Amino acid sequence: MTVPTIQTAGLTKGYGDICALKPLDLQVAEGEWLSVMGHSGSGKSTLMNLVGGLDRPSGGSLSVGGQDLSALSEDGLARFRREFVGIIFQQHHLVPYLSAVENVMLSQYFHSVPDEAEARLALERVGLGHRLKNRPGELSGGEQQRVCIARAIINSPKLLLGDEPTGNLDHKSTVMVLELLKELRAEDRFTVVLVTHNEEVAAWGDRTIYLDDGVLVREERLRS
Amino acid sequence: MLFRILKNSFLKRPKAVVLVFISIAMGAAVATAFLGIAGEVSHKMALELRSYGANILLEPAAVEGGGYLRETDLPKIKTVFWKYNITGFAPYLFGVADLSANGKKERAVVSGTWFAKQLEVPGEEASVQGIRGIAPWWEVNGRWPEGPDEAVVGASLAKRLNVGLGSEVGATVRGRAARFRVAGVVTTGGFEEEQLFAPLVTVQDFLGKPGQVSRVLVSALTVPMDDFGRKDPNSMSKDEYEKWYCTAYVTSVAKNVEEVMAGSRAKPIWQIASAEGALLKKLNAVMLLLTVLALGASASAVSTSLMASMAERSSEIALMKAMGADRFQVAAIFLGEVLIVSTAGGFFGYLAGNQLAALISHSVFNSAIASPLWLFPTAIVSAFLVALAGSVAPLRRALNIEAVRVLKG
Ligand SMILES: Nc1ncnc2c1ncn2[C@@H]1O[C@H](COP(=O)(O)OP(=O)(O)OP(=O)(O)O)[C@@H](O)[C@H]1O
Ligand SMILES: [Mg+2]
Repeated sequence: MTVPTIQTAGLTKGYGDICALKPLDLQVAEGEWLSVMGHSGSGKSTLMNLVGGLDRPSGGSLSVGGQDLSALSEDGLARFRREFVGIIFQQHHLVPYLSAVENVMLSQYFHSVPDEAEARLALERVGLGHRLKNRPGELSGGEQQRVCIARAIINSPKLLLGDEPTGNLDHKSTVMVLELLKELRAEDRFTVVLVTHNEEVAAWGDRTIYLDDGVLVREERLRS
Repeated sequence: MLFRILKNSFLKRPKAVVLVFISIAMGAAVATAFLGIAGEVSHKMALELRSYGANILLEPAAVEGGGYLRETDLPKIKTVFWKYNITGFAPYLFGVADLSANGKKERAVVSGTWFAKQLEVPGEEASVQGIRGIAPWWEVNGRWPEGPDEAVVGASLAKRLNVGLGSEVGATVRGRAARFRVAGVVTTGGFEEEQLFAPLVTVQDFLGKPGQVSRVLVSALTVPMDDFGRKDPNSMSKDEYEKWYCTAYVTSVAKNVEEVMAGSRAKPIWQIASAEGALLKKLNAVMLLLTVLALGASASAVSTSLMASMAERSSEIALMKAMGADRFQVAAIFLGEVLIVSTAGGFFGYLAGNQLAALISHSVFNSAIASPLWLFPTAIVSAFLVALAGSVAPLRRALNIEAVRVLKG
């Protein structure tokens, strides 16, 4: 049995008086695809940000990829993010003045050295080989999200996080994005954690957890 | 990649970039202009001040026994090491004589001097030396003497003798006699108003002291005295002495002149020299202060416009952070932009500042100035300083952006 990619014990997060995440014990195995569901304000994004090293826990332990995140410095967390995690947001969050390929290269630049050929290849993998030079404003929502996926996987992360990555997409684009993620995971063997409001999207995962008011209330295994 | 980011970000936000560029260029321009004319201003001011009197007095070293200096040594003053700092000089030969005019008798000092003597020194530029050059504030009612028997009479002596323009004044001393025609009556506000001034040769003849001079007043451009300048040259090491000699302290220029005038001793006339130095120091301080203020103002303008563009770019920075950019990488992008803009701003500021300096110099002093070589690096460096100072607050803000809050979905 290998070490789980994500392991939390009594993990909490509070914002002032608000307790966004009540003590949470969670394990996500290497290569697993976990879906996170729950109504608005239930703490899904909070959990995501903690696991992605974008925010710090208020209490409990949090280990991702064998690293104790609460022990890392600010720059240590940045390093963890660029080396270990790929993140896809609901809003596309691309740099508006850079072309698709440059947006992907930006991630390489922070990670190590930009490599245009490799960035091109990543965009080809997400089916955007023909839109390399376009700026985000010239791409459709689904295309932008695929650029984000290419950017998220370019540095071969061990963990891919998506906070409602298909929230703004129509059904067809959603299926396309999920299909793409599934393929990429099959090839690159990374762990996936996807936040979603949509049962159908959640069903693409191996397991779904349900949060309610910061508490893990239900868990459903779909496949192993 | 950094280059691509910078290039695209410039192209995307030309207004913000131009704003920062203008702030920096203006600061650099003002700094260039001020610093460029500062040297010019102190030089010109020194010249103006210099016209308020001589600052070195040459006397015979042996005071007893009525020592005298030699008139033939005078041209050598134009050949000394500091000759270009010496703006003028005038010799004097004094004697007390009995004067009479219109039946009135007075005992007074008769002073032989140069008024405006054409001086030709082999190997040097011809110049005009004398009282008119070193004491331009003397007010002459009438005109300066031209003939050998013409004189100007101090206003108060003229009153006592009851003489005016065209009067004749008789003078006797130890059985010798001379007659002077009054060409002008002079008001100086000082002891000179009690004297009669006539051409040096005439007075030498009258007093029976051919070729002799009692004292020489020299007007020289000098640097303000400092602690080193106040040290006793006799106790200096060879190197120190050399440095002292090669700095235009009033004492070292005096020493310089003393060396060419046989049997002389040179004394700085302190009050004027030090007041002048202090004034120039203040003037320079004011120029520097204005420069610093201008740079400060442009730094705060830079800061303001960077802050504004920072607000606009916070999501972009948050995104970079989420992608794993650490503080150093964020700062590199930010400072890279600032560096490029400030180099360009410094360059254009330098060009504009030079024009400005030329304009100011032309309209205030009516002269062209040569901009010193160090001005260019100074302009660039001050642009950098302005940019860096203006970047502190925006950069801190950029580094403190919390990715989570900005990117909230
Ligand atoms: N920065 C913050 N300051 C204060 N409270 C916060 C902050 N971020 C989140 N919260 C609160 O924490 C709780 C959980 O928020 P979170 O964003 O995790 O919800 P969510 O499940 O992602 O909701 P949604 O589905 O609407 O995105 C909410 O009550 C929210 O108001
Ligand atoms: Mg959320």
